[in-house]
Amino acid sequence: MTDHSATRRSLLAGAAALAGSAAFPRLALAQGAPIRIGTLTPLTGAGGPYGPVMVKAVKAVIDQVNAAGGVLGRKVELISEDDQTSPEAGVRAARKLIDVDKVSAILGTWASSVTTAVAPLCWESKTFLATVSGADSITALPHQGYLVRTQPTTTLQGKKFGEFAIAQGAKRVFFVSPQTPFAKSQFDNITAAVKAAGGDTASLIYDDKKPAYRTEIDEVLRFKPDAVVFGGYTPDTSVMLKDLYRADFKGTKIAFGYSVNQKLVESVPAEVVEKTYMISPSPAEGSKAYETLVKLIGVTSPDPYTTQIYDHINLVLMAIAIAGDASGTAIKDNIRKVSQAEGGARIDNAIDGLKAIAAKQAVNYDGASGPCDFTEIGDISDSKFRYEQVQGGKIALVKIA
Amino acid sequence: MLSYLIFTLTLCGIYALLALSLNLIWGGVGLVNLGLAGFFAVGAYASAIATGAGAPVVIGWGAALVVGAVVGLIVTFATLRLRDDYLAIVTLGFAEVIRLVALNERWLTNGSDGLPGIKAPLKAELGLQGFSLFYLGLVTLIVLLVWFLLRRLDLSAYGRAMKAIREDQQLAAFAGKPVLRFKLQAFAVSAAIAALSGALYAHFQSYISPDHFQPLITIYIFLAVTAGGVGRPSGAVFGAYLVVIFLEATRFATEWVPGLQPVQIAALREMMIGVALILVLHLRPQGIMPERIPKAPAPSAP
Repeated sequence: MTDHSATRRSLLAGAAALAGSAAFPRLALAQGAPIRIGTLTPLTGAGGPYGPVMVKAVKAVIDQVNAAGGVLGRKVELISEDDQTSPEAGVRAARKLIDVDKVSAILGTWASSVTTAVAPLCWESKTFLATVSGADSITALPHQGYLVRTQPTTTLQGKKFGEFAIAQGAKRVFFVSPQTPFAKSQFDNITAAVKAAGGDTASLIYDDKKPAYRTEIDEVLRFKPDAVVFGGYTPDTSVMLKDLYRADFKGTKIAFGYSVNQKLVESVPAEVVEKTYMISPSPAEGSKAYETLVKLIGVTSPDPYTTQIYDHINLVLMAIAIAGDASGTAIKDNIRKVSQAEGGARIDNAIDGLKAIAAKQAVNYDGASGPCDFTEIGDISDSKFRYEQVQGGKIALVKIA
Repeated sequence: MLSYLIFTLTLCGIYALLALSLNLIWGGVGLVNLGLAGFFAVGAYASAIATGAGAPVVIGWGAALVVGAVVGLIVTFATLRLRDDYLAIVTLGFAEVIRLVALNERWLTNGSDGLPGIKAPLKAELGLQGFSLFYLGLVTLIVLLVWFLLRRLDLSAYGRAMKAIREDQQLAAFAGKPVLRFKLQAFAVSAAIAALSGALYAHFQSYISPDHFQPLITIYIFLAVTAGGVGRPSGAVFGAYLVVIFLEATRFATEWVPGLQPVQIAALREMMIGVALILVLHLRPQGIMPERIPKAPAPSAP
């Protein structure tokens, strides 16, 4: 009997030694298993132009942090999946990230439908989700805090469009848009802003695949608007602008910055698009975080989504550090401690942030997309907007406010 | 890992139902239905809207079956005079119409925001893991049941008549088979199965939106039925499991390719799927489990 227990003891000791030796080389590098972070960006499909750069930004930050010793002495590992800009494929990819890779956080879901489909998996499995989708309904989901987004809501964007139209002296504002996740909320909030100033609004939803919009323009002009707001994307908006020009419309034209872009301005006759205003959520251009990001990924003017996902990864890594724990719940409970700690040191990258956290300093991160302060339900509380105008065939900055 | 496997197998089952639906109409009466995603969507929305209005989940699934069958009948009536490629184009258009209706009729479908929070049956009672297992069991059971019924159908006189219509419509009519009635019935049953599959998907994911029902799903199912073997229910089911497992396996396979950017890996995955389709069509056009055509009985002595 004693013999038996002795063998068992020696066996245990042997096993322990074996396990110890196996763990030792890793110990020298960084303690414990790596912290896993997933990105779920569109690499193919409609969002395909955006996803690859987004992943690049996250990878660059993680490489930098690992070179500086990791987080909590652990390496950070990036697992990238493609959501194919489809909620069906997105859910499959998210399940793999959550169940197989056991990531602490998923970053960068782009299409609103993908985010809405993936969000329940995240909160049920206590995985943190940071997104760049804009649909209002997302933060209204019962996410228990496991979700934040850096894209301003449609409510905020609509309000800005309405107020800007009023500021241009418009009283009658017409909104034209294809059916998008934000068309209705955009119009409702423009209406609220315009009605508050005593004006009136009307809207028209059109099919974005049509080659001409004569009948639509007739309907627009019947309303006798002084301002027309375009809610569409580049191809349909350029056709709309042409037909509106043919109909000799003289009022104010306002569009999204992502639809009336350099490409559109170059592709239509100058007088068609002249004097059109563009409004877009502004990255914090000129801020230190923005400059760092530009240098890090070598892209001169990164799109808003890239600046946002850059902020996601910085915030998540710092939240893990301040919590001393890499679980999704720890990130959820601590993200606001690094994004908006009162009187915290102004930090613009994870490396400095991790140092400050190690020195027990409070941290307030100001990112490349903006100040990154979150409300209770996970929306950003403040965002700057960029107002531009086409002047003489060129896009000129009017103001950032 | 375990929950991922359970999830994938559940999805396999849902795809298998779609494959069975396609196999019935394509392998049975020879009508090419490129509108599968549309029927899938009809079922998902029917059940989601019914249960959203307070009906129990079982009623929702029943509603999906009925609405699916009715829509199937409407589509067949609208396409009575069309065959082959022309029918395929119209059904493709039908799926797009369904998607556009779901996108624009906000009062009914909540537009592009989609319908979140669809009831997941017994989820509260069973817990997360329990629910996943229960749903896997349920879906698998339904697949087995539908497979069994369709196999019976294939072996029956009705099934033989269907295949006679597939081979030569005129000849079948000449032999006294009511071709139109067969087509209507087969299309309605096929549409109902696809709709049921959609309803199962909706309550599994608890969220649907017009973006869910892109034509890509139809392509996957065609790949499944082609790989498995057109005209044989076992082949369709096998093909569906194969396709979903292959789709998921490409995620892990690409991890072994060194030195690629994430975007290149994503492209590589799509290429692998395309290559798989070409290989199947090239090496085994009759599918892995080809249709078994029973021998004609020996002529009796005069």
